[in-house]
Amino acid sequence: MQADMHASVGDRIVVHGHRVGEPDRDCEVLEARGADGRAPFLVRWGESGHESLFFPGPDATVKHYEHASH
Amino acid sequence: MRTIDGVRRSGVGISADRSVHDAAAIMEQSGVGALAVLDGDLLVGVVTDRDLVRRALAKRMENDARVDAVMSSPVVTIDAEADLHAAFALFRTHSVRRLAVVREEQFVGMITVDDLLVDLAADLADLARPVTAEVLFAHRDSPVPAIA
Repeated sequence: MQADMHASVGDRIVVHGHRVGEPDRDCEVLEARGADGRAPFLVRWGESGHESLFFPGPDATVKHYEHASH
Repeated sequence: MRTIDGVRRSGVGISADRSVHDAAAIMEQSGVGALAVLDGDLLVGVVTDRDLVRRALAKRMENDARVDAVMSSPVVTIDAEADLHAAFALFRTHSVRRLAVVREEQFVGMITVDDLLVDLAADLADLARPVTAEVLFAHRDSPVPAIA
């Protein structure tokens, strides 16, 4: 697990495909369960809206978004 | 090399009280073939796409049956900091295709035979390249330096 990966609520995690033709997957971060915004993350998957815990590996990157401060 | 360095894919976990339908949908969305089954922070099992077919679908189990009814348990685990050779030994002795990787007894990822095989095949190809080149394209012997 990429223990040093940080994510905030609303960020998206992209899981890159492993095989030729395999699409990237992405999910929305709902909660960081680790200390200081670290993994594991509670996430919601694309169209289905199903939630799971996510333990990022080297195939995952975070897309950070600016969050409103009000 | 540490076991955690051999992990190639992200791990996905599901609560033990979720349904087999949820498990299948999460596998489909996340692109993984196995989920860690968790009771709170505790790893209690692993459910694979094969488990869903053989233990749920083939037995006409209801879609809302709990996932812990079809999971495999206990789980064969390996410490994230253990040498990767220890993983090879566990694969050999337990006849499994994936191991749950843990750190301080918390699940952190999954390591699979398939990923290790791909890495080994790439390493073997690198090692074989100069030998193959020499077999196919024989090198001329280097000339012996002339002695004055």
